[in-house]
Amino acid sequence: MLFKLENLSHRYSDGTLALDNVNLDFAKGERIALLGTNGSGKTTLLNHLNGILQPTSGRILFEDQPLKYDAKSLLNLRKRVGFIFQDPNDQLFAPTVEQDVAFGPLNLGQPADQAKKAVEEALKVVGMAEYAEKPPHFLSYGQKKRVALAGVLAMQPEVIVMDEPTSNLDPRGTSDILHLLLHLNKEFGLTLLLATHDVDMVPLFANKLCILNKGKLVTTGSPVELFSNTNLIREVNLRSPRITHLFEVLKKENNLSVNPQLPLTISEARKEILRLLYLENPFENY
Amino acid sequence: MSHSDIYTQIDRCAYTNRFAKTSPTTKIFFALSALIISVSSTSLIAPIIIFASTTLLLLYFARVRVRLYLFLLAYPTFMVTLSCLFIALFFGTGQPIAEIALPWFNWTIFRSGVAMSIATFFRVEGAVSCLFFLVLTTSVTDLFITLRRAHVPKVLVEMSLLIYRYIFVLLEVTGKMNTAQKLRLGHSGVMRRIRSLGLLAGNLFIRTLEQGERTFTAMNARGYDGEIRVLEDMPPSSKTALAGIAVFDAALVVAVLFTMNIGVV
Repeated sequence: MLFKLENLSHRYSDGTLALDNVNLDFAKGERIALLGTNGSGKTTLLNHLNGILQPTSGRILFEDQPLKYDAKSLLNLRKRVGFIFQDPNDQLFAPTVEQDVAFGPLNLGQPADQAKKAVEEALKVVGMAEYAEKPPHFLSYGQKKRVALAGVLAMQPEVIVMDEPTSNLDPRGTSDILHLLLHLNKEFGLTLLLATHDVDMVPLFANKLCILNKGKLVTTGSPVELFSNTNLIREVNLRSPRITHLFEVLKKENNLSVNPQLPLTISEARKEILRLLYLENPFENY
Repeated sequence: MSHSDIYTQIDRCAYTNRFAKTSPTTKIFFALSALIISVSSTSLIAPIIIFASTTLLLLYFARVRVRLYLFLLAYPTFMVTLSCLFIALFFGTGQPIAEIALPWFNWTIFRSGVAMSIATFFRVEGAVSCLFFLVLTTSVTDLFITLRRAHVPKVLVEMSLLIYRYIFVLLEVTGKMNTAQKLRLGHSGVMRRIRSLGLLAGNLFIRTLEQGERTFTAMNARGYDGEIRVLEDMPPSSKTALAGIAVFDAALVVAVLFTMNIGVV
């Protein structure tokens, strides 16, 4: 296992129990989505994965070794586990895009020419190469988000942890980031872990879904599995993807013989509709 | 042009003007040497030449927008005009050029006072144009790198780097909070406006603390260990340009020395 969380709890100094005995593990190359309402503990959990927060009880194993919190171990961990914050303004601090992206590689002790190369490549991957010399305050929110991603990519991590990567992005921006992430996962085998409450995005991205509620890990499974359990989804104050909801209504109100594994995405819905049409009239050519 | 707008415009200009890619060392050398000559010149010739050449460089060669330059120039010009008026009317000794008998004292305007006032005006305008030359053609990023190379203490450079970046973030936050207050009628009436301003300032202070905290966390997450390392990619300074500036400066100094004893008025 790449990461293994054992009885992880975190209590903030003001007394809030933000994480309550979470047990979870995930393997290399997985795409994991943490789904939960605001205040369900998603961000707190993510913050444990590269040592920003330390568990108040329980422990975290990374490649079967418990995390250590001395400066050297943290640097090693952070080299391998990149973290992208929700607000790119928190992350972009340098006066130009290029210098910001170079911050990580230089901290890893790379010589300038190697760092520069890493920066160029990372900016190319996120499609921001032509903005290298611009200061961050010239960029749009979506562009800043991509630069923040480049800043982490330039460190060549194995795992990328993201807090709400698609929040505040327009539809195009959301879809761009999503494709970029899937590309990174496929091409470079990056393990991706993101926290979100964008339920429509989850099935497009994740192969594993974890639902958090009030600091507890409610359940883990594939998106298909979990979203088919509509009662559970409602209990934790979430909802199904819109398209799934439509099929649920068609099934319940119109007694359509929809597959019990409800479609989650447009392409799955399309298949299901064609299947239903075919059952209705097998002689028509769809 | 609003005030917060002007900062952004200057910043944008520094990154986009035609001299943006020239060596910052060259630009700093030019601006500083001309500035020193301008303020120490006793005749008008050097400041006028300096003002004319920096203005020409800025507007014609660097393609800085005329409107922006004039807008910037208006503030110091206004201030210096006031001061020079004061100098002309109340300073100086020796030969008087006007005497006005007021009921309670005799007000004398001296020739040397007027001369000093005119000289001051041109010296300041010359110096100010040098500063604007630097500000409008050199990005803050380049300045930081130059400072670092000049062995200015790291703490100072790193602090200014962070301050520079977050000025723009906080400017945006301030703008938003200000609008939010306006929309809920926080600016109706002087007292309410003062109260709103106080609230805004207090809130902004807390926001900066939080922002600092979050940025620090984010920097740690990318392996920050107490030192900000940057790529020092800078265009080299051209020897020809440096030599040209040196000749220009020398000519100015000669001009200053030759015209030293020619009175201003």
